[in-house]
Amino acid sequence: MNPIGRFQKKLSILFGRKQFRSDLDEEMAFHREQAEQELIAGGMAPQAARYAAMRRFGNTMRIQERTLETVGFRFEGWIGDLRYAARQLWANPGFTAVMLLTLALSIGANSAIFSVIDGVLLKTLPYSRSDRLVRLFLSDSSYPKFPLNPFDFRDYRARNQSFESMAVFTRGDVQLSGSGEPVKLNGFGITSGYFHVLGLQPELGREFDQKAEIPGNGLQVILSDRLWRTQFGSDPAIIGRRVTLNMQPFTVIGVMPKGTEHPGNEYHAVSYGESVDVWWPFSFAGDPNRRGSHFVEGIARLKDNVSVEQARAEMNAIMTQLGREHPNYDAGWTVLVTPLYTEIVGKSRQMLLVLLGAVGIVLLIACANAANLLLARASARQRELAVRLAMGAPRSRLMRQLLTESLLISLMGGAMGLALAFGGVRALVTLLPADFPRARDIHVSGSVFAFTFLVSVITGILFGMAPALQAARLDPRQGLQKAGRTTTASGHQSRLRNALVISEVSLACVLLIGAGLMLRSFLNQLQLDPGFQREHVLTASISLPHEQYKTNATTGHFYDQLVNDLSALPGVESAGAGSDLPWTGWDENAGGFNIEGKKPAPNQEFHARYHMATPGYFKALGVPLLSGRFFDEGDTDASLPVILINRAMAERYWPGENVVGRRMTFEDTPKEKDWMTIVGVVGDIKDQPNSPGAEPAFWWPELLAANSDMSVVMRSSANPELLADALRNEVRRLNPALAVADVQVMDRIVETSVSTPRFAFVLVGMFAGLAILLAAIGTYGVIAYSVSQRTAEFGLRMALGAQQGEVLRLVLVQAIKLTLVGAALGVAASLALARVLKTLIFNVSPADPTTYAVVSLVVICVALVACYIPAYRATQADPMNALRAE
Amino acid sequence: MAKKSDLLPGTLDMLILKTLARAPLHGYGIALSIKRLSDDVLTVEEGSLYPALQRLLLQGWVKAEWKMTETNRRARFYTLTAAGRKQLGVELSQFEQMIAAIGRVLRDAQEA
Repeated sequence: MNPIGRFQKKLSILFGRKQFRSDLDEEMAFHREQAEQELIAGGMAPQAARYAAMRRFGNTMRIQERTLETVGFRFEGWIGDLRYAARQLWANPGFTAVMLLTLALSIGANSAIFSVIDGVLLKTLPYSRSDRLVRLFLSDSSYPKFPLNPFDFRDYRARNQSFESMAVFTRGDVQLSGSGEPVKLNGFGITSGYFHVLGLQPELGREFDQKAEIPGNGLQVILSDRLWRTQFGSDPAIIGRRVTLNMQPFTVIGVMPKGTEHPGNEYHAVSYGESVDVWWPFSFAGDPNRRGSHFVEGIARLKDNVSVEQARAEMNAIMTQLGREHPNYDAGWTVLVTPLYTEIVGKSRQMLLVLLGAVGIVLLIACANAANLLLARASARQRELAVRLAMGAPRSRLMRQLLTESLLISLMGGAMGLALAFGGVRALVTLLPADFPRARDIHVSGSVFAFTFLVSVITGILFGMAPALQAARLDPRQGLQKAGRTTTASGHQSRLRNALVISEVSLACVLLIGAGLMLRSFLNQLQLDPGFQREHVLTASISLPHEQYKTNATTGHFYDQLVNDLSALPGVESAGAGSDLPWTGWDENAGGFNIEGKKPAPNQEFHARYHMATPGYFKALGVPLLSGRFFDEGDTDASLPVILINRAMAERYWPGENVVGRRMTFEDTPKEKDWMTIVGVVGDIKDQPNSPGAEPAFWWPELLAANSDMSVVMRSSANPELLADALRNEVRRLNPALAVADVQVMDRIVETSVSTPRFAFVLVGMFAGLAILLAAIGTYGVIAYSVSQRTAEFGLRMALGAQQGEVLRLVLVQAIKLTLVGAALGVAASLALARVLKTLIFNVSPADPTTYAVVSLVVICVALVACYIPAYRATQADPMNALRAE
Repeated sequence: MAKKSDLLPGTLDMLILKTLARAPLHGYGIALSIKRLSDDVLTVEEGSLYPALQRLLLQGWVKAEWKMTETNRRARFYTLTAAGRKQLGVELSQFEQMIAAIGRVLRDAQEA
C-alpha cells in the first residue's frame, strides 16, 4: 500500500482511538478466554486455567502499548510523555514554581543581555559593505589619537592607492532661523564624497561636489530626513530652496533618507545614530603650507582587495613623504587606520562580553540548582520509577520521560524568560550609558527568540541529564523495597549533589567578586575630586553667527555684556562663559608654541589644550586659583596678552618654578606684543573623571581671543534650574535671534560621566544577587534533603544523649565544608578571571584583597543562614519516632 | 516474559499471511494454527502477534472484520487481501532462496 493510504489509516486510527482500544481489548479478552477454555478442556481446574491463561498471555498493557506504537504516529509518544510530565509538574506546585521562577529569571537575563549584544555587536552597521569602512587618525607618543589636518587629507586623497574613496568631517553646529524660535542644529562640515564613502544616497537632490570645497562656494546644505519633516513640512520642492543658517542664506541641495546614521566622532562628539541635522560643505581655507591645526576626522572605504594592514602601510609611507615636504608640521606622525566597526563598538565590546559571561554564570548556577532539585525529587520518585521498570518499561523510555519533563520545565521557563526579556531590554536601554553606541538598534528580535529557544533546550538537557542518568542506573528491586527506612542516597548521588552545590557557591562567588570590584570602582569615581564644584551650577551653550558678530570685539563684547547681566540677576552668585565645559569632550590642540627660555626635546613640540574664558568662568565653576590671579576686565586685546594655565601645564613645562610672569608665544620670531604672559595657575580638571591625569591646558581671555561658541556657567545660591528662564530672557534681550541650547545643570553632566561604571555595576550586581540567591536555595535544598535522610540517625543520637547543639553543629559543619570549598574555588577562579575586568574598573586592583575577603565572608554567612533552618529541624527530631521507624 | 519468540526474525508476517491464505481466522486461531501445524515447535507470542496484525492491516495485506464464531462469540477475523497474497508470494520466494543458500553453505561445510 502506498504511503498516503497508510497515513490515512493511521490518521483514522488516531481519531478513532477509543474504538481502536476497545476493539483491541475485546480481541485480547477473547484470546484469553479461548486459551482458558482450551486449558479447561485439557483437564485443568477453571480457576487455575484462568490464571494460567493470564500468565501466558502476558502483560496486557504492554501489548496494547506496543500495538498502538505500530499504528500510531511517532509524535504520539512524545505527546503522551508531555502529558505525563505536565501532570507531574501540576502535582508539585511548590517545586514547579521554584524551578520556573529561577529558570525564567536566569534565561530572561540571558535573553536581555543577548538582545543588547545582538543589536550592538552582531548586527552589521547600516552602511553598504560596512566591513570596508575605516576611520583615519594621526598618532604620536603624546597624542595616541589625533585628528587630521585638512591639507594633509587633501594629499592623502590625491596620493593613495588603497582607498576607493575618502572624506573628512568636522563638527560645526549651526543656528536655523527664519520662522519662529531660532534652533540650534547638530551640524557637520563634510568634504565631497562623504556619503559616497558611507555608501549612502540622498533621498532628494545630490551630495556636495569638489567645487563646494573651494572657500566661498560653501553656502549649500544637505538636510536630514528628520529636519526636513519637522522644520520644512516634508516639502517635496525643497531642493533649491534658501534656508537661513547662522544668519546666512544656504541653498538646500539634498535631503538624506531616514536611517542615515552618523558614524560617530571623537572630538566634540555626537553619538552614533541619526544624531545629525544638517551637513554643510567643508572648504579648504588658508595657507596649504601651514599644517599645524588638526581638527578634521577621516573616514574612508577600502578597495576590495586591500587589507587594513596594507592601507596602514601605504598611509604611513605617504605621511613620511609629507614629513619630508613639511618637516615643521608633518614629521613624527604615524597614521592609524581602524575599522569603523571597532571604532564604534570597540569600547563597549569588553563590557558586553563581561556581562554575557556574568549572565552565563547565572544560567549555569540555575542549571546546577535545577539539577539538584530534580535529583532530590527523583529520589522521592524512586518507587514510581521502580514500579514502571518492573512493569516492563524500558530504561530508555524512563530516561526519555525524565528528559521530557526537564525540557518542558526549561521551555516554559524560557517562554517566561522571554516575556521578562521584553521588559528587561526596555529597562536596560534606559540604563545604558549616555554615549553607548547603537542603543536604538537594541530590541528583542528574531535572533533573540532563536537564542532563547536554544538556551532553554540546552539548559533543559543539561539539568535533566543528572536524574535521567540516575534512572538508567536504578535497580527496580532496591527501589521497590518497602520495609525499613526510606532509601538513602547512594554515595555516588550525594557526591554529585555536593559537587553541584560547591560549583553553585563558587560561581556565585565569582560574580559577587566581580560586582564588588565594580562597586569599588564606581565609588572611586564618585569620590574623585573633579577639580570643580558640581552643585548649584547651570550651564547652557550659545553660538554667535559670524554674519552678525564678525570681529573679536563684537563677539567678546556680547559675552562680556551677557555675563555682566547674568551676574546681576538675583540668586546668581557668579557667572561666566568658557569655550567648553569639563567632561563634555575636548579638542586635542595647540601645539608648536614657544616658551621663553626653553627648548622642546628633538622631534617633540610643546603641546597644550587651549580654551577661552571670561573672568567669572572659573569662579562660577568653582575651579580653584593656585597662584597669581584670574582674568579681569582689563585683560582685552588692547592690553598686553595674558593667559592662565593649569597646574599640569605648570608642572610639565616649568617644574618647580614660579610660573606667574613667565611668557610663551605662537610666533617663531616674536615681537614684544606677541608674548603672552602667564598671570595665574588654576586647578586641574581631567578630560574624563577617570582619565589617568589632567592634560596641560591654558586659557585666553574671551575679550582677547574671542570664540563665538561659548558655554555659559552660572552659580546659583539655590536650585540652579530656576535660572533657566532668566538666562533665556537675558539672551533674548541682547539678541532675539539667538538660540540657547543644552541647558542643563552641572550635576547632570557629572552623573552622565559616571553612567558607564554605574551601568556595569548595577547589572553585574543584579546578576550577582540572583546568583547568591540561587546558590542559597541550592545549599538549602541539599542540606534539607540530607537532614531528612538522616532524621533517624539524629533521633538515635539524641536518644543516646546527644545535645541539640551537637546535632546543630553536625549539620552546620557539613554545610560549612561545602561552602568553604566553594568559596575557595570561587576566589581562585576570580583571581584567574579578574584580568578581563581590568579595563572596566578604575583605581581597584583586580585582586583587591578587601573585596575578596568581604565576598568570602558574605558567601559563608548566606550559606549558614540557608542551612540554619534544616539544621534546626534536625535538632527537633523526636528520638521516639526515629526509633519506632527503625 | 523471559522467553523470546523462537521464530526466525522476519518470518512472523509470512507465517501469518500463509495461515490466512487457507481461511480467515481470528488472532487466537492464527496462534493456535501456527502452533499446531509446527507440532508445538513454533509459538507466536501475543505480544508480537497483535502488533504484527496491525502492521499487516496498515500495509493493506489483510482485512479485519468482526464476525461470530461457531460458539456464537464475537471475534475479529482477519482475511488475506489480493495485495497480501502477492506479498506472501514475494516473501515465500525470498525465504526459499535464503533456505537454499543456507543449505548450500551447510552442505559445503559438511563435505569439506
